[in-house]
Amino acid sequence: MAKILDVVSASAGYNGELILRDVNFEVSDNDFIGVIGPNGGGKTTFLKLILGEIKPSTGAVNYFPNGNRQTLFGYLPQVTTIDKSFPISVLDVVLSGLQGQKGLSGWHKSADITTAKKIMERAGIAHFANNPIGQLSGGQLQRTFLCRALISNPRLLILDEPNTFVDNKFEKELYALLQELNREMAIIMVSHDLGTITTHVKTIACINRHLHYHPSNRITSEQLASYDCPIQIIAHGPVPHTILHEHHD
Amino acid sequence: MISFIVDFFSYSFTVNALIASLLISIAAGMVGAYIVARRLVFLSGGITHASFGGVGIAFYLGVNPILGAAVFAVLSAFGVELLTGRLKVREDSSIGILWSLGMAVGIFFVFLTPGYAPNLMSFMFGSILTISESDIWMIFGLTVVMAIFFIIFYRAILYLSFDPSFARTQGVPVELFSYILMGFMALTIVLSIRLVGIILLLSLLTIPPSIVNTFTKRFSSIILWSMLVAFTGCLGGLVVSYTLNVPSGATIILILIIMFIFAKVYRYISVFLKQSKA
Ligand SMILES: Nc1ncnc2c1ncn2[C@@H]1O[C@H](COP(=O)(O)OP(=O)(O)OP(=O)(O)O)[C@@H](O)[C@H]1O
Ligand SMILES: [Mg+2]
Repeated sequence: MAKILDVVSASAGYNGELILRDVNFEVSDNDFIGVIGPNGGGKTTFLKLILGEIKPSTGAVNYFPNGNRQTLFGYLPQVTTIDKSFPISVLDVVLSGLQGQKGLSGWHKSADITTAKKIMERAGIAHFANNPIGQLSGGQLQRTFLCRALISNPRLLILDEPNTFVDNKFEKELYALLQELNREMAIIMVSHDLGTITTHVKTIACINRHLHYHPSNRITSEQLASYDCPIQIIAHGPVPHTILHEHHD
Repeated sequence: MISFIVDFFSYSFTVNALIASLLISIAAGMVGAYIVARRLVFLSGGITHASFGGVGIAFYLGVNPILGAAVFAVLSAFGVELLTGRLKVREDSSIGILWSLGMAVGIFFVFLTPGYAPNLMSFMFGSILTISESDIWMIFGLTVVMAIFFIIFYRAILYLSFDPSFARTQGVPVELFSYILMGFMALTIVLSIRLVGIILLLSLLTIPPSIVNTFTKRFSSIILWSMLVAFTGCLGGLVVSYTLNVPSGATIILILIIMFIFAKVYRYISVFLKQSKA
């Protein structure tokens, strides 16, 4: 499996204050990595580092095969501070996910609109296509941003808490969709819902100022403690109260 | 009526005024739609008023006031950026500071310069008669460059205005483009000063998109229709001000406001009718 990117002993932060220290990490095609960690631990910062939105103060982030990252990612931000009265249609928001491929001066072809409509169909927002985004509910808006991340059929899909705002039904559909997409693309997903993480992802990264990579989707609270990753375990169904999955050797 | 039309066009200054209005309306449509969508109206107000500092210094030095205004407009735009970004002053406070700093500098130098008080009025309230051929060429150049920029980069401008951090992940050079657009904004403001004046200028940029926004939520439609609305306002304003011999700037703004009220009332009534039918 080809490597998409690697992070080599990188530190990063804001205004001179380091949030992440000495991070080593790599992503290859078809990986499905769940990112967990406490609030303020640096998960979103880590994603921004990968995306190239913030530069490492030491170390490096390398993109393969040729160092070009523009057409690599589909990205769903954690919170999008948008202005809901901005004059833009739902369709145009989704199409904006193609701009990296189209280039700076790119315009859309009718094939792009067909692609957009197909994805929106799947996310259940197709009939809103021409509505201004101000008319959407929080969950519908989240679906729109998900479509925006997916439309470019990216090599690496980066999702920062994709389940915020959406209802249970769509959340289930979302995870089914991600399983399907994972055959074609690598996925990195931040979630606070450990139950979800362990059932859907392949490997886990714990981030609390440092990054600990756990090459399996089964993790015990002892391991979490040893990773210095004090997160609350929210278990679903018949999972033991404090231990998510017994660690089988 | 015929004789009025012949009269109206027989002065070269009215022809100049009409050409200038048309070009300014085209520029104002683009800049206005952008600043309204991105909520940069207060910033534009700050830049407009700060440019008066340049007018004052230019009077004092005896150089072209529009040049002085342009320098101050661009400086204040970057000044806001500097105060907000580097020195962590909150943005609306930065704008307020530079707004009054520019005005203060202007007043200071105008009072050091004897004998310019009447001319000053034309900068504060606009005086279409003072538009010269060279002004028109400058406005023409700006409008053409800006139109080309907007056509080529329309999608990038739309996306960076809507969600800058996502646009950045798509390879849009958000900072560079924001600076370029801020430069266009400052120059459009300065070149419109002759038409409506510093004090009234903000409405020329903001009323047309607000009218159009009542009927459409498409960014491209807002740009195009704002041009038409602005030009209608200018045309009406020029005719009325010529007929009644009142200042053009104030008349243009009043006509735009009347159009705004009509648009809102029309909208209100049509929504009301739709609801009562349902
Ligand atoms: N733009 C910023 N400027 C300065 N500090 C920031 C900025 N963004 C985040 N931080 C700081 O960096 C730290 C990590 O933030 P980050 O958003 O990466 O956390 P997170 O793990 O994603 O948390 P959450 O689970 O709440 O989303 C926090 O202490 C936060 O205060
Ligand atoms: Mg976060």
